Amino acid sequence: MKTAADLTFGEKGIINSIDLSHPSSRRILEIGFTPGQEIELITRTAFNDPLAFSLRGSIIAMRKNEAASIKVI
Amino acid sequence: MTKSEIQDYQTVFLVGPPNSGKTSLFNSLTGKSFKTVNYPGATVEYYESTFHEKFDIDAIVIDSPGIISLSPSSIDEKIAIEALFNHPIHGLPDLLIVTIDVNQLSRHLYLAKQLIEAGFNIVIAATMTDVLRKNGCNINLNRLSQSLRTDVVEIDPRTGEGVKELVELIKTKTTNLITIPQINVIEKYKNDQYLIETYKQIEEIENNTIFETDDIKNKENVESANNELQILNTSVFIRRKRKIDSLTLKLDKFFLHPYWGLLIFFLIMALTFTSIFWFAVPIMDFVDLVFSLSSDYARTLIDNVWLSSLISDGIISGLGAVFIFVPQIMILFLILGLLEDTGYLARGAMLVDRPLSAIGLNGRSFVPLLSGYACAIPAILSTRTIPNKRERFLTIFIIPLMSCSARLPVYALLIAFLLPKDDLWIGGIILAAIYIFSLFSSVVAAIIANRFNKKIIKEEDNSSFILELPSYRIPQFAVAIKQTFNNVLVYIKQAGPIIVVFSIIIWALTFFPDYDPVIENSDILTEEQIQILKSTERFENSFASEMGKFIQPIMLPLGLDWKAGVSILTAFAAREVFVSSMALIYKVTDDEDEAIRKSLINSMRKAKIEGSNQSVFTMASTIGLIIFFVFALQCFTTVAIVKKETGSWRLPFYQLIVYSVAAYILAFITVNGLRFLGIP
Repeated sequence: MKTAADLTFGEKGIINSIDLSHPSSRRILEIGFTPGQEIELITRTAFNDPLAFSLRGSIIAMRKNEAASIKVI
Repeated sequence: MTKSEIQDYQTVFLVGPPNSGKTSLFNSLTGKSFKTVNYPGATVEYYESTFHEKFDIDAIVIDSPGIISLSPSSIDEKIAIEALFNHPIHGLPDLLIVTIDVNQLSRHLYLAKQLIEAGFNIVIAATMTDVLRKNGCNINLNRLSQSLRTDVVEIDPRTGEGVKELVELIKTKTTNLITIPQINVIEKYKNDQYLIETYKQIEEIENNTIFETDDIKNKENVESANNELQILNTSVFIRRKRKIDSLTLKLDKFFLHPYWGLLIFFLIMALTFTSIFWFAVPIMDFVDLVFSLSSDYARTLIDNVWLSSLISDGIISGLGAVFIFVPQIMILFLILGLLEDTGYLARGAMLVDRPLSAIGLNGRSFVPLLSGYACAIPAILSTRTIPNKRERFLTIFIIPLMSCSARLPVYALLIAFLLPKDDLWIGGIILAAIYIFSLFSSVVAAIIANRFNKKIIKEEDNSSFILELPSYRIPQFAVAIKQTFNNVLVYIKQAGPIIVVFSIIIWALTFFPDYDPVIENSDILTEEQIQILKSTERFENSFASEMGKFIQPIMLPLGLDWKAGVSILTAFAAREVFVSSMALIYKVTDDEDEAIRKSLINSMRKAKIEGSNQSVFTMASTIGLIIFFVFALQCFTTVAIVKKETGSWRLPFYQLIVYSVAAYILAFITVNGLRFLGIP
């Protein structure tokens, strides 16, 4: 399944699930990345890692490997 | 049970996620009388203060660090959260003021919900409603209050709007009745399903309270607008209401641009850096002047030789060594505070996370490392924002390699010695090269320390970088100044006593045994020349020089003699003490009325290793000395602070050994390598 790390600049996705085996998964859930939420990749920086997403009216940056634990549709 | 049976004052705690306006609110509630306090037995700090007198409330306000939920992600957060439930000093809180940014309502309500569920007495302070309105939306705070079953006040701490209403509410809500919050509420949220359910409830509240202003224009009132919108597809509706500030998105196109982003970042940092030096140098010269004048003045006041020498050479010079760095620390933290308040600093951390994580650090290591260029003490303290322990310890490990401002006078002297004429251009280039070299060295040190992680750092943790990028705002000077003041105070409190004590010890070693030399031909010398000859003679017979002669064999491989060795040892109080020690040891009488540095450089040129005709300070040995200063951890305050911050002697012990050995070996290689190449 596609993950948040696979989104391209400006692409939106709806969160399907969070991979709970990732050590950061609780933090990711708590900060508001819950199933059903829409996210959008809003940055493309020089190294393209970390990535920044718009979520619930905020901008949240996280590393690519952390974003990969967010499954989107 | 009433609170007054236990405690005779009321406590109001400020709680809220980062960027929710909590610090601004604290400022507008309290005025200037705040103080920083450590939680007992911990390094975590919080602010506490009485209310501003105009509010006429007899209570204490406590500002705790920003948290996103009641489940802690670091030890610091754990202490702050537990203190909410039972503060080690103030006990149970009478009232919590929970700040929420209405533009991020659902995310910020998550913490509020947990606190309400835990049973706290709560007032919600809704901030940044003006931004919401600007973006074409509004919020029905009555409904929010009804849904949460708690009081909600709209405030703008920046303009002071709503603060009065909040204060009135605080007065009515801080009754004498105690509610005992239940900390075990945290356990429920460990269940992921419960967490997701909570967010669903919050989304429903969000749906019912935030509405688009465009819709009201067409409807009779807010109520009907909301009722009708309920029927619409909620996800589409919500998306339109949760708009990110359009200016922020526009600015991020530049600041986070794939090419321009990094360039702008380096420009901002270069500007920060140069302004530290531009603005600080004249102030530092002034501080230096004040202390040397008061040192001279103190000498004339007291007749007793050793007492006057103790006060002027030991205590006042020691204080001078402490205060000389205040301007740089002040300017650095003022600029960093302003940059943080604009929202840019979080982006800077994001931009450099990738390269820093490649060497085992974190984007959040960046600000502490930059601060290290002013002074290692506040830099080490600022690593507390790094949640991952391994990355935090690694950052602390390499901070002493950052070229702190105490090294500057040392480099200035040695560079001036290397250059035949006062060539400012070449001097500047050499200095820049030293800075770049120290940066490069710290990268190598980080890579090596990371390789030997199990031995040196001994911490394993999930490496993570999750950071909210706040909306860009115009910075508030009041907040930045408060933080600057706090950092300066921390530096003076932590480094001050250690530097002064060592300054006194070094004074005693150079002063005793109280030897009164007889100067020959004193009739043809001026009073001042006699004084200088006397102090040089005294030094030659002091305990320090006895110790120095003992370390002569260690210094010889570096091409240096025991006099330079003693100066290096005294520099452990603070690196710049090297210059004043050198002045004391090498000063000879000069006929011309020259500046101290010039006459010192002249006597350095004449200095010969005892019992031989070999010059002490040559091109090779001076460059070797610079290399030595790049690596050596000559700062007892740093050692003490690292011990305090990491909770054990292991890391500071490793730093001291590793950097001292590295400094010696690399200086040795440099000196002998240069000599091998034919450079004297």
